Amino acid sequence: MAQPTTDTSAEDALVNAARAGDRSAFGLLYDRYARMVHGILLCRVPPREVDDLVQEVFLLALRKLDSLRDISRFGAWLSTITRNRANDYFRRSDSLDRATDPEAEELAESRTNDHVVEQEAAMTLAVLRTLPETYREPLTLRLVEGMTGPEIAMRIGLTHGSVRVNLHRGMQMLREKLAERVQGNLPEKTLGAE
Amino acid sequence: MKDDYLWDGSGEPDPEVQKLENLLGRYRHDQPAPAFDQLSEERPAPRWGFASFRFSFQIAAVAAVLLIGVAAFLIIRARLASNAGPAWEIARIEGAPRVGWHSLSANSETAKLKVGQTLVTDNTSRASITLDETGRIEVDAASRLRVVASRPGHERLSLERGTIHATIWAPPGEFVVDTPSAVAVDLGCVYTLHVDDSGAGLLRTTMGWVGFKLNGRESFIPAGAVCATRPKIGPGTPYLEDAPTSFRDALTKFDFAKITPQERNVLLGILLVDARKEDALTLWHLLSRVSDTDRPGVYDRLAALAPPPKDVTSEGVLHLDQKMLDSWWNSLGYGDVYLWHVYERTWSEK
Repeated sequence: MAQPTTDTSAEDALVNAARAGDRSAFGLLYDRYARMVHGILLCRVPPREVDDLVQEVFLLALRKLDSLRDISRFGAWLSTITRNRANDYFRRSDSLDRATDPEAEELAESRTNDHVVEQEAAMTLAVLRTLPETYREPLTLRLVEGMTGPEIAMRIGLTHGSVRVNLHRGMQMLREKLAERVQGNLPEKTLGAE
Repeated sequence: MKDDYLWDGSGEPDPEVQKLENLLGRYRHDQPAPAFDQLSEERPAPRWGFASFRFSFQIAAVAAVLLIGVAAFLIIRARLASNAGPAWEIARIEGAPRVGWHSLSANSETAKLKVGQTLVTDNTSRASITLDETGRIEVDAASRLRVVASRPGHERLSLERGTIHATIWAPPGEFVVDTPSAVAVDLGCVYTLHVDDSGAGLLRTTMGWVGFKLNGRESFIPAGAVCATRPKIGPGTPYLEDAPTSFRDALTKFDFAKITPQERNVLLGILLVDARKEDALTLWHLLSRVSDTDRPGVYDRLAALAPPPKDVTSEGVLHLDQKMLDSWWNSLGYGDVYLWHVYERTWSEK
């Protein structure tokens, strides 16, 4: 299932224009990729930090755009920069342990909010973030950011097959973990044990 | 798989997926684009038009002389200074790490580590080095770490012996560490690299992934995996740290021991039988490391544990079709191998 040529060539043109210094073209790339960057960050760092980090990622990408050799891989390149930035977040906060405990963090945040739905959302996000990285990322892009599977594949630069399999398996795992939570039997956190 | 709705929103809506979409949609990105246009205007880019270009010939002459003088000074200095380029900031952690004759013995003391210089720690000292645009590296006791190259977009160190813990935030492919038995290329990660006195190495990735290469032999080491390396042989086959002992022992002998073809067959048998689903990482690497005769067995076992994507055929894999191998690797979810191909070429050229 190849992507429409017109879409990819339009995007290549945007990347080319942005590399040539056209900031409005870079703004259009932001519009296309901001949800991807946001989703990749959201499944790794605390939600309150994500918006600032999204801006940082795009500013870094703007500075480094000249180092992108194959413009057709802008999405894969940007997603790697984003994951690096998430890693960097934990380095700067001097607490790698936090990467293994997103659930406690989400729970702590949700305690300040009495609204039941907000709490349920925070709990669900926390469970989603305990999934292995392979599943957590596409599932966050699908369920939180509202991207479709083909869109995720195109943006991140993966095949439709692998994204579809990971969405399917990730959803299965998420269902199981949410069911365990309902039964009050959530097992040990597994993020660090991928 | 009846997951059309999950895949692209088509088909009969899955109530559970819909509920999750509604619940989690509150975290969706909703920030407008920053003013990138204004950002460019804020850049210090002086633009002189003809209207502002009215000054006397005397001032112009003085400016020209000064400019030539400064340029000459910079050129001479650049030629004399072999250690030009960004310098790593050294901070002492304990003991008295040293660079040349200079030892850092106080906590507050810092120093620069420049191209050609070597940071040495003895059995009781440790240090860290940091470069703002690249990352931070902790250097354990009994280590020797030299800066081979340092310029924007390319940092290259050489770990001659000892252990480093690297946290790299530079873009993939910009940070490279040479060892006596392999070259480690950062692909966005946190990792530990150890080199013993014989030059043998061990790389352990904590986050992201690392590429390891020597003489055309390549290994990709994602988070949770380990890869050993030996002088004159290069990187072995990576494996997950929690792999069964029998699997790990068999792999070490398979990679590095001097063994007969029969013994090699036995070891391969152990690897295929003991491999778990998550050991697809190892089996994928073995595809290109076994003989043509052994490859179908590895293919079958890997396909049973991690079915290949639709665009991958057994015939293609058995002939080591690079695109199909790449596609299968990408389906394992460890990272886009395309990045490796791009950046491996990039640093190889540097």
